[in-house]
Amino acid sequence: MDWSLIGLSFAAVFLSELGDKSQVAAIALGGSSKYPKAVFFGTSAALLTASLIGVLIGEGTATLFPPQAVKSVAALGFLFMGVRLLWFGDGEDDGAETTNE
Amino acid sequence: MTPAPAASPEDQDLSTTEVPPSHADNSEIANETPGPDSEGDISVDSAGLKGWWKVFASTYVTIFLAEIGDKTQVTTLLMSAESHKPWLVFAGAGTALICTSLLGVLLGRWLATRLKPRTLEVGAGITLLIITIGLGWDIFQGI
Repeated sequence: MDWSLIGLSFAAVFLSELGDKSQVAAIALGGSSKYPKAVFFGTSAALLTASLIGVLIGEGTATLFPPQAVKSVAALGFLFMGVRLLWFGDGEDDGAETTNE
Repeated sequence: MTPAPAASPEDQDLSTTEVPPSHADNSEIANETPGPDSEGDISVDSAGLKGWWKVFASTYVTIFLAEIGDKTQVTTLLMSAESHKPWLVFAGAGTALICTSLLGVLLGRWLATRLKPRTLEVGAGITLLIITIGLGWDIFQGI
């Protein structure tokens, strides 16, 4: 078991993710959501999948997920969540929605 | 139209968020997090479960799309290519990613005990818009 390699990749990724957008998003969503655990599991699972795909298909990632298109959808997602929080407060407040059902 | 029956635990959740900040200090997570104690609630209350999955799914999709092809992924990729031990790199990178997410959510929860709910929501909303602008800039730059 090559512990130094594990340690090195841990340190590299930890430092580069510290304060990066997904962590900032985790702070924002985790703080304002009623379901912080869902935010934690969602964020971790997303990051794990993304790096797993990176490991598995390597350079092919860019062809499978054209960066500009993918980032555009992500930007729209953040825009939607941000506007929802500013406008309606607790965005995922299902109390408001369950009244319709 | 009257909202859902008063029995809904969600209503109680909402009311606890309006408790004065002084109260929030020691009760931290127990205050509004649907922690282990409320798992019973969740199984009874399908709306809560639905809300949970909705938050999980929206977080997952957005973060995944924002991160795929991003610098951490590139780092992981290069390291696994150089070392020819992709699984060890993944183990290290994966642990780091779980740690940073956990730190992020915990910091968010800590802020939630300090700030008024509305202040927090506005701050969070603006933060997400800043991330949007950052992503827009990436796209504009051709990444």
